[in-house]
Amino acid sequence: MRRLELLDAATAELLGFDWLVNAVAPISPYGSRLFSELVPFRPGNERAAESRARQIAEIAERLPSDQVSAVRSLLEQLPDVVGAVARASLGEPLDDPGFFELRLFCEMVERVDASPAAGALGQRISSEATRTVLEALAPGRREAAGFYLSDAFDAELAAARGAYAQAQAEVDAARGREVERVARELGREEVAGDEFIVMRSDLRGTLPQGVRVVRESATYLLCALEYGESSQAALQRREAAFGRMGALEERVRLHLTSVARAHAAGLGAAARALGELDVSLGAARFSQVHHCTAPVVIREPALTFERARFLPLEAELTVAGRRYVPIDLDLRGAAVLTGPNMGGKSLALQTCGFLALCAAFGLPVPAAQARVGLFDQIAWLGTGLRERSGGLLSSFAREVTALKDILARMAPRLLIFVDEFARTTTPHEGKAIVVALTERLRQRKACALLATHLQGVAAAAGVAHFAVRGLKGIRTLPAARDLKGALDALADSMDYTIAKVGGDEAPQADAIALAALLGLDSEFVEAAYRALSQ
Amino acid sequence: MGKTTALLAMYEAAWRSGFRVGLASIGPKTGLRLHSNTVFVTARPLLAPSPAVEILKISDIESSAGSLLYARTAHDGLYDLAGPSSASGLRAAIEHVANRSDIVLIDGAIDRLATLASGDGAIVVSCGAAAAKTESEAVCDVATLTARLRVPLFDSRAAAVELEGALTATMAAEFIAAGEERQIVVGDSTQIVMSGRSLSEALARLRVRCRRALDVIATTVCAVAPERSFDPGPFLDAVAGATKLPSFDVFAGREAA
Repeated sequence: MRRLELLDAATAELLGFDWLVNAVAPISPYGSRLFSELVPFRPGNERAAESRARQIAEIAERLPSDQVSAVRSLLEQLPDVVGAVARASLGEPLDDPGFFELRLFCEMVERVDASPAAGALGQRISSEATRTVLEALAPGRREAAGFYLSDAFDAELAAARGAYAQAQAEVDAARGREVERVARELGREEVAGDEFIVMRSDLRGTLPQGVRVVRESATYLLCALEYGESSQAALQRREAAFGRMGALEERVRLHLTSVARAHAAGLGAAARALGELDVSLGAARFSQVHHCTAPVVIREPALTFERARFLPLEAELTVAGRRYVPIDLDLRGAAVLTGPNMGGKSLALQTCGFLALCAAFGLPVPAAQARVGLFDQIAWLGTGLRERSGGLLSSFAREVTALKDILARMAPRLLIFVDEFARTTTPHEGKAIVVALTERLRQRKACALLATHLQGVAAAAGVAHFAVRGLKGIRTLPAARDLKGALDALADSMDYTIAKVGGDEAPQADAIALAALLGLDSEFVEAAYRALSQ
Repeated sequence: MGKTTALLAMYEAAWRSGFRVGLASIGPKTGLRLHSNTVFVTARPLLAPSPAVEILKISDIESSAGSLLYARTAHDGLYDLAGPSSASGLRAAIEHVANRSDIVLIDGAIDRLATLASGDGAIVVSCGAAAAKTESEAVCDVATLTARLRVPLFDSRAAAVELEGALTATMAAEFIAAGEERQIVVGDSTQIVMSGRSLSEALARLRVRCRRALDVIATTVCAVAPERSFDPGPFLDAVAGATKLPSFDVFAGREAA
């Protein structure tokens, strides 16, 4: 999946793009090739995006997960024959490993077709091409998966191989006689290798006939045994037999290559169909594992969903044995989100972004139901972006620069998440900037969610105001310095529900209560409450 | 050093005894004459078109010569071997060949064979005139090498200093200076990265032990090299005496007395 201009790397990281890519990734080389070319649906293609998501959701619903896994395990074993088919179609003879892979490919196609999943989908990938190639390569079958250019491929091959084996036996016999004679004359059990050492002390008389001295020293001779007349004649006969056998083997390869060449288009079509099946099953598996639903993809710049989840965090919390609370939201155009610290504001932004990403790639979304628009750009501004250390710019200046870039791009359909923008300047000026930004986004008809602790932004900018309900009162205080206990108590006491509120309603930070929960001493907390009341 | 000559001598002996032999090599080894029904590991680009071989599996293990595949010869002929460049790849290749053979022979550098530790595998050490300037130096080198490879298993009941990584000459000198009497335990003997006098001293003065032992069963010698040669008979006897292992000179057709 290519994110192209839809989102930049930092936004992609925050919204879990790589996580999503891994979660839906196919498993075969054909699927991977297709998958790497997938691009997001742009505005105007809502029907196609929705149709694809529905198709995947239907597969996920119709097929039991074990059937999906079974087909994926077959797809995982598929060899990549695209290169071999391309070479064959250009007339280049294939080698035996190429035939091995081609036959395995055709066999796997049959097995995929025979799987209950393919049956349920009414999909047949095998074709006359795959069946013909499989039949042509069948005589090469060995053991479970091996391939050998067997005698059955060509009537003359067996005779040629027999002649070669006979010629080799004659070489071995002739050479064996020479070696045996030399070993006997040297008084040794055997002479191994092309070169051997003869100790002068062991030598009685001259060296045996045919033994050539390669190097000599005071105590030994390094020798080689020349090939005698009978060996040389046998070698010549073997070379002739080898040439004849090699030519016949090549003839078989050329024939088999011509079969592959004649069916290259059909084999390519099968490879593409496997790739499409693989990509669909990867997405269907994602949908099954994460209980996704097909979204309604709408023409408006809006995100409306019920019980939505940001899957990368849900996966982390599941591993840690912690509870994840899904959220509901009806975001149309620009809106402000307020709420307590640790109330899930940033997570709400990420959830919106994740759903928008899924819809952009025609995937089912992790929500009970959703209506999602398509966008030209998804951007993130404010906290969460990886802070760059050093440099001349302050964190505020970096935020402003990033905002300038986003506005300058003038994406016709912008989805932007703003998380505590301008928090590092004075609250007075910070609010003014956030109000101005919200107004600008409203005017541009962007879909935007701006999380902030600043009061009165929604009303001043004339946009909707959502708030996380916040702490319901902490039931039990954990022991001092017990962070895990504090987090458990917080999770128990926090109402993560996001509700639309009146434009002027003061944002609830619950900051002092949280400070107490996290272990600040009671004197400190009381002083803070006193200061707040003044 | 004559590694390949020794390997082929063992291959011939095993084949004549009726064993199904598997062959692998660490790094490419070209032009080996193999008999039919031999399983071997090679790289796809090294596979000659004739005689055709039975392709058993194409692996995803890479080697310096290309991706590896497993094949079985159907006819006698000249074949090229190749091997994986990683220890995990070597383990996988050996396992695959072993499943189809009675005996697997691997041609390779000694420090890459730690993968054989604690398995059924055994090591034959080859030495020769190519690796040392004098005969005594060659004998000393092979003696310390085999001593290193034959470091015994540690005694779990005795006190020990467990090392996670390698035992170097610097560490050994510190242990000796501190009068360390406990066992110094490494993973396997290839993690003792010393040679020559340092290694002899360390093995003599420290109780160096390992968690996975290697089984060194023999040495082979090659007394001739392009640049020098030793007197084969005395060289063989000296190696046998220094290593206390069965020692063979496959070039001279001799076994040490």
